[in-house]
Amino acid sequence: MEYIIKNGTVYDPTNNVAGEKKDIMFKDGKIVDNVSSDAKVIDANDKIVMAAGIDPHSHIAGPKLVVGRLYRPEDSRRGIKSKTDVTRAETGFSIPNCPATGYRYSRMGYGTVIEAAMPPLEAKHTHEEIIATPNIDIGALSLFGNNWFVLEYAKDNNIDDLATFISKWLKLTRGYGVKIVNPGGSEAWGWGMNVHGIDDPVPYFDVSSRDIIHSLAEANEKLGLPHSIHLHPNDLGHPGNYETTVSSMDIVKDVSKNSPVRDQTVHMTHIQYHSYAGTNWRDFESGAEDVAKFINNNDYVTCDVGQITLDETTTMTADAPMEFDLHQLNGLKWANKDIELETAAGIVPFIYSGRNSVHSVQWAIGLEMFLMVENPWQIMLTTDSPNAGPFIRYPRVISWLMSNKRRVEMIENGEVHKAVGRKSIIATLDREYDFNEIATISRAAPARAYGFADKGHLGVGARADIAVYDINPNNIDPSNDYEAIEHAFGNAALTVKDGQILVKDGEVVSTKESQTIWTNVQGLEEQENVLMKKIMPVFDKYYTVKFENYPVFDNYVPNPIQVNVQAGK
Amino acid sequence: MKTITFNQKKISSIALEFDELIPDEVFNWKKSDFDKYMVPIGNSRFPLSDYFDIEVEGEAESPAQVKMVLNGDLGRVKYIGCKMTDGQIVTNSSVDLHCGAEMSGGSILINGDAESYAGREMTGGELEIMGNVKEFCGASYIGDWRGMTGGIITIHGNAGKQLGECLSGGEIHVKGDCDILAGIHMNKGLIRIDGDVTRSPGGQMLNGDIVINGSVSRFLESFNQDEIVLDPTIAGKSFLGKYVKFTGDIVRNGKGTIWLSAEKNRHLL
Repeated sequence: MEYIIKNGTVYDPTNNVAGEKKDIMFKDGKIVDNVSSDAKVIDANDKIVMAAGIDPHSHIAGPKLVVGRLYRPEDSRRGIKSKTDVTRAETGFSIPNCPATGYRYSRMGYGTVIEAAMPPLEAKHTHEEIIATPNIDIGALSLFGNNWFVLEYAKDNNIDDLATFISKWLKLTRGYGVKIVNPGGSEAWGWGMNVHGIDDPVPYFDVSSRDIIHSLAEANEKLGLPHSIHLHPNDLGHPGNYETTVSSMDIVKDVSKNSPVRDQTVHMTHIQYHSYAGTNWRDFESGAEDVAKFINNNDYVTCDVGQITLDETTTMTADAPMEFDLHQLNGLKWANKDIELETAAGIVPFIYSGRNSVHSVQWAIGLEMFLMVENPWQIMLTTDSPNAGPFIRYPRVISWLMSNKRRVEMIENGEVHKAVGRKSIIATLDREYDFNEIATISRAAPARAYGFADKGHLGVGARADIAVYDINPNNIDPSNDYEAIEHAFGNAALTVKDGQILVKDGEVVSTKESQTIWTNVQGLEEQENVLMKKIMPVFDKYYTVKFENYPVFDNYVPNPIQVNVQAGK
Repeated sequence: MKTITFNQKKISSIALEFDELIPDEVFNWKKSDFDKYMVPIGNSRFPLSDYFDIEVEGEAESPAQVKMVLNGDLGRVKYIGCKMTDGQIVTNSSVDLHCGAEMSGGSILINGDAESYAGREMTGGELEIMGNVKEFCGASYIGDWRGMTGGIITIHGNAGKQLGECLSGGEIHVKGDCDILAGIHMNKGLIRIDGDVTRSPGGQMLNGDIVINGSVSRFLESFNQDEIVLDPTIAGKSFLGKYVKFTGDIVRNGKGTIWLSAEKNRHLL
């Protein structure tokens, strides 16, 4: 089937198209430059056309989602939507069921999502949930930052074996890239401890966070993976942690990039949670200025924000000691999990309130980061869903970014605590994003950071992943019409995925199976075999599962998008 | 004022769900609207008119001007008044599960008993039950830590287990006896029990007040006995007699208060 989306106002930063009236044509799931006269015409006059959104960091599939749903039935009672002829029933607000996750991303015009933390031991289940999530392509980042083998290689600075290990483990888990969460800290949590800063030794391993981050970055570049290391640094959510954050970014400054498809050597995730100054919750204030300054001066860093949305939500992370701290702080129920030899996890409900001074300053810090990082290619739209708020709030965050008036209103009307005036500089930042910058932070930049050559843009040959929004850019002032902006970005006029129309006027009209994006490193097969002979005795001794049951089998990835990488090239 | 009377014609073996038939939804309905309404029963819907004759008298411009009267055996009708914000519902029989759950305003009078989950997570309004109520009255739904947060529940008979679990506001008054674990995980609010309590009221409570005028057969040791107070004022209400004040639950660092009738609980002192 051939289509022309006619006369839309196109924003496609990758191809330097910023608000031009253009026709976008697609056929057989790809963007093309010509279609026959039989092509079906879709009128996009007075509408905005962008590539479908890409979420670079979200928690949507895997064991912690299941634990979250099981122990928060009260969340599942929200967001209920009955099944239709096309869709299955939807439940949940911050931790929706799998079908709802796919539909809700589609309704916002999104087409690709990265599941940000996949424990290798639980990779099979993560992929089962990916299969159950329709409409979006999903890549999962495998957790490496607290893996016993990784800690040993990092201690010995054995980059060759570490690279081979990553190569093998991405195959075993069908993972897309290297995720590091609280390096060393989650392992320390197995002993009821944590590490702070980047030079604390990890108990019983005699290795520091600095060593782990640097070694994994080197190994990542040695392999030339399409994504850089994806770093959730130490000290998340602690006052004064901005120094740890800046130090963590600085660790990889000498690591040379070895990939033509991306710009960065480190992606800092949910940077809002890592940009805190002060020494305790009383003198807690924004440290965003220093973090933004570092990013502005170092183009080897990208980040996503993890914007607080001021909702009741569910926090879930492999940073298990942080979750314990959170549970101590708010007194709400807590789930804790150890993933043997690999990582840990914790889950705590959280109610972010504009009446709370700390939460309000957190809200301001996220926005400060958006507004102070000058290059939109270095910063990306996320809420670290569901941690800082559910992903369905992206349209609201967009409206905040496009309207200084709205931000000032929130401060002046008391929708956020007056402490934001004293503890952040958000009130002084009058920058407003334009549509091209919104397209950059939600499409083009994530695509480049992940090395997706055929996503995040509307050039010929790209996947026909397209979003049309009912906004006439010539007839709207986002600064004043922020409610219309939120509504339009939350209810796509049209969402196309691989050439299939999934959403019309905010309603899901058809569904498709998800596809799993994973990285297959080639050229190290011999080294992998040698390494596995060394690994197996340790594996057999310490894991409680047999290796035969460990890998993700092919039937767990029925619709793969396999990204082949020649090691070192 | 509009009065809508439901006269039962037939009893269903599977419960009818009445959460869509609240004053908020039906204040401007005509009889013909009720006649064509399909009521959920199990996983299907059936004509309401198969089960009830409906009489509509008067007009209403808002839910506040609606009085719904339900006659017949309502033991298989659940969610009566669930999520209502205003208006009045009177039943002339016992009712099934979830009566008044999540209601935020208006009033419900049950001239009979109520099954479990009555008034769960209600945030306002009044629920009066002339008979007994079963488990989890005024409690939270499974998983949530916030039970009833506002409003008043009055039970003229006895109450079942876990009355006011996670109570986070409002008042529950039981004029009869109460089964185990009244006010467990309670955060705020007031529970008054005029009769006897079987066991362990206030377990793991963080805050709020429980006043028991009858005897407690087994009392948790994780409460500290405080002073004996004559004619205390508790949560703004005056009580007559001698009460022993206990604070806890200390296993959760709780600052809740349980007031026991000194006369009826000498065995605990």
